[in-house]
Amino acid sequence: MASRVFLRRVIGAGLLAAALAGCMLASYFTQDLIAEAAILAVFALSLDFLATCGLVSFGHAGLLGVGAYAFGGLTVLAGYSPGTALAAAVLGGLIVAMAAGVFAVRTTGAFFIMVTLAMAEMFFSWVFRDRTFKGADGMGGVPRLDLSAIGVDLNDASTFAIFVVLLCAAIWLALEFLIVSPFGRTLDAIRQNAGRVSALGGSVFAYRLAAFTISGGIAAFAGAFKVQHTNFLSPDLAGWLASGDVLIAVVIGGIGTLVGGILGAAILVFLKDFLSSHFGHWYLFLGAIFMMVAIGLPRGIVGWVLELRGKRP
Amino acid sequence: MTIALETRDLGKSFGSLVATRNVTLAFEAGLRHAIIGPNGAGKTTFFNLLAGNLRPDGGRVLLGDRDVTNLGLAQRARLGIARSFQRNNVFMDLTVLENLVFARAVREKRTAVFWRSLRSYGDLREGAEAIAEKVGLTGDLDTVARSLSYGGQRQLEVGLALACDPKVLLLDEPTAGMSPEETARMRDLIRQLPGSLTMVIIEHDMDLVMDIADRITVLDYGSVLTQGTPTEIRASELVRERYLGGAAANPAGAS
Repeated sequence: MASRVFLRRVIGAGLLAAALAGCMLASYFTQDLIAEAAILAVFALSLDFLATCGLVSFGHAGLLGVGAYAFGGLTVLAGYSPGTALAAAVLGGLIVAMAAGVFAVRTTGAFFIMVTLAMAEMFFSWVFRDRTFKGADGMGGVPRLDLSAIGVDLNDASTFAIFVVLLCAAIWLALEFLIVSPFGRTLDAIRQNAGRVSALGGSVFAYRLAAFTISGGIAAFAGAFKVQHTNFLSPDLAGWLASGDVLIAVVIGGIGTLVGGILGAAILVFLKDFLSSHFGHWYLFLGAIFMMVAIGLPRGIVGWVLELRGKRP
Repeated sequence: MTIALETRDLGKSFGSLVATRNVTLAFEAGLRHAIIGPNGAGKTTFFNLLAGNLRPDGGRVLLGDRDVTNLGLAQRARLGIARSFQRNNVFMDLTVLENLVFARAVREKRTAVFWRSLRSYGDLREGAEAIAEKVGLTGDLDTVARSLSYGGQRQLEVGLALACDPKVLLLDEPTAGMSPEETARMRDLIRQLPGSLTMVIIEHDMDLVMDIADRITVLDYGSVLTQGTPTEIRASELVRERYLGGAAANPAGAS
């Protein structure tokens, strides 16, 4: 019988193959959607990785926003190269997450949700009001990474889509290995029973902080690519609706499965596109679909598939 | 006589309820100490103060010569105070072996590792299997904790505490909710633990206490009522009156 790990990787490989085929064969418009889905998938991975230690954030768009604004600000306003800006964006995400985490990860459950939401809204209201980044108007002209040195033109829609799909696959694989490392298993043990980890002598706080920091770095990375994709920087990237969207993606796909976040992101992006081209009130339909999945498949689609294969590896 | 663990004037209140009242106790190294007392006597609160789950309002806790009063649960665990819980508190989604290997990895400070898998820690497996044998779970190494019998989970609970290489082992009602057969198995298990290990056990089963304890402390309303060997406690008028009631009036029934 196939193990859960094997099944997860098969699903991941299938999604990767479908995405790459789409990048090469599908229309310009579909390629654009694939790129959007891959970037949301990276963001979803950051949220689901955090869930490994039992924490569900409702302010993750704040960390995505840190990466987006660091990248957009440094390239458009300060004239740094996109490569430097990308490194700075990830570093900024790591630092902000660590600083915020010192306060946030002392709480769990609903309190953690409220603390992360409040922190993200603080960031949102700053970039919404402050004219440095043109406030609510947003700011255009964000450049993409320049890989012409190796003959890759990211301004081509197909190439950009392939590039972000491969980045997403690389991050997913890295996280797949990270969650079975002693560090990752400690996070899982904390999710199952934090009190017992303490009683064994493990520092629950330090591990949760480390997970939150890593998660923030990945979210910021996703943010830096989100603004490269649209070439546009705006505060709603960091708003609570964006935090809600990524949470919906992870829950639909299957929380705690990693690959579920990728599937959920793909479903969300394509469903939104389909619904919004047919209905005016498309969030109404999206909400209904989300509710049906949440009630019918409480562990999400991937969680449900894995459960069909038994409880354990 | 070496003292392994000691409390001085330890006190803890919850609102107007005094759960622990000026408790000064010394637990001699290498002995099995039992703490008994009626429900609500403050046994578990006292345990939580010893292990570091709770901070006292006043007084001190000493591990050997070291003052550990201001250290938390995890820090005390690293210094050698390990505890089991009254309600099963294991990693339900992990197998018995995974539970114990993980506990060993924490003990050896080898969990902050990103670049290899926990399964590759073959050397920890040996130590984990040795503990499984001590707690009678050798046959269930690959059983998920959730699917173990209640008694099996209790045994794993003790196994996790043992995996910390404790100097002092605190067992909170190790036989709570167990069948007579499971209780007998737990009694043998506790008896077979090395004599060098200092143990403090909260237990309601008086037969078990009289059988395995070297010293007994009786708590009542948060204070120490009396202390002594099982023979002394059984003979004590005060204990008979306040706690043992009919059970000790008939010594044959209590042995």
